Amino acid sequence: MRTDLTDKALHSEFRRKVEELSGQNLSDCYQCGKCSGGCPVEPDVKVSPNRLIRMVQLGMEDEALSSDSLWHCAGCCTCNGRCPMGIDIVRIKDVLRSLTKNIHYGKGSLEAWTFYESFLDCVRNFGRLTEIGLMGGYNINSGWILTNVKKAPWFIIRNKLGISPHTIKRIDRLQRVFKRIEEIEGK
Amino acid sequence: MKYAYYPGCSSEGSGAEYARASEAVLEAMGVELEEIDDWICCGASPAHATSHLLSIALPAISCAAAEKQSLDIMTCCACCHSRLKQTNQQVKDDPKLRAQISEIIEEDYKGSQNVLHITEVLAREVGLEAIKERVRKPLKGLKVACYYGCLMSRMPEALLTDKSEYPMLLDNLMEALGAEPLDWPFKTECCGAALTLTQTKTVIRLSADVLHMAKQNGADVLTVACPLCQANLDMYQGEAEKLLGERFSIPVIYFVQLMGLAMDLDPKRICLDKLIVDPFPILAQKGFVDGAVYL
Repeated sequence: MRTDLTDKALHSEFRRKVEELSGQNLSDCYQCGKCSGGCPVEPDVKVSPNRLIRMVQLGMEDEALSSDSLWHCAGCCTCNGRCPMGIDIVRIKDVLRSLTKNIHYGKGSLEAWTFYESFLDCVRNFGRLTEIGLMGGYNINSGWILTNVKKAPWFIIRNKLGISPHTIKRIDRLQRVFKRIEEIEGK
Repeated sequence: MKYAYYPGCSSEGSGAEYARASEAVLEAMGVELEEIDDWICCGASPAHATSHLLSIALPAISCAAAEKQSLDIMTCCACCHSRLKQTNQQVKDDPKLRAQISEIIEEDYKGSQNVLHITEVLAREVGLEAIKERVRKPLKGLKVACYYGCLMSRMPEALLTDKSEYPMLLDNLMEALGAEPLDWPFKTECCGAALTLTQTKTVIRLSADVLHMAKQNGADVLTVACPLCQANLDMYQGEAEKLLGERFSIPVIYFVQLMGLAMDLDPKRICLDKLIVDPFPILAQKGFVDGAVYL
């Protein structure tokens, strides 16, 4: 991939936004590649962590936000632990993920967002997560109705299912918290 | 010794055996638990992947409740631990964030309590000597591969103050029980964590690597301290076997279950029968349980 190192590329609005939201200085990264060397999902992705950082450094917004590495990242923090400059790479990835909220592109993005939304809906409605609620919500909303269905008999045989959703006492406060954060972040 | 107890959502579902066994072991070691009043989900990865504020506000609600109890917080789940500890640290360090979060959650929250993982409580606060004394049936000759996974070893601000690439907390606990912890290289490799639903193939590949390495090093059982690691390594073991064309049959047992076994606690409270890969054959072979008739 060819990119000209123009002034515009190096001082893009996209880079400034990612730096501000993540609190990280992207000039700290000198592309040593230790993050990618330790990354457990690196064999599954086209864009390794250090390339993703390079894309943001160069203001390549579309390439960065549509990269598959955002959705294969397990959040294991090996990259953070091994970065010689102490850059919080996981935080940068979180920021990139949150920037795709209304775009939904890139392989795996739709599944990931369906998972996030099913999970958080369950928390918002009950205060705690129930695995049945999460699986049900995910399978219906993603269209992959049979995800993990083969595992269901084990949950029943081993009596692992928490069936009744446990509603917390101060659910009204929790819902106000969700609403307030939406208002702050919507601005 | 008393802690504010944060059970976490998995304690009510797939990780119920972890919570029950933990409670039994802590009770036997004289640690009192007071469940955090009206605790809520920590938000886990869906919160921090979508909104920074939400990822702080959700744990903050439970932490603020523990602050009212004036007790340090203890949790069993490695993920909850990392979320609660990061929140606590960030709020303590950043007065602006503290004010904003207090306003959002309608409660004053300072981040004044410590957040501890159960391995720290048992290995450091209760102490290995006390555990050694309490052991009734030493797990002699049981080769245990201690698997820490990523959340216990690497999260920023959430480290267990153990070596991040080669932790020893679980190994020390296993040694206190009389078992043989293995020196093996995949202690902190990732199992795929929360990708279970969305990128199942990745989870199977990573879990297979961990299981393969444990088998190669001669492990009888794997022991874990995280409900997510347990679910991935246990539930997907069949798929992992198919992927590598190799038979593992390695039970993935929570470390507290092994502690309960060595301390000769009520088998009903350590729930070994809830694990998917049946642990009874190997435990019976080593003479820790009577000949098991089980599924």
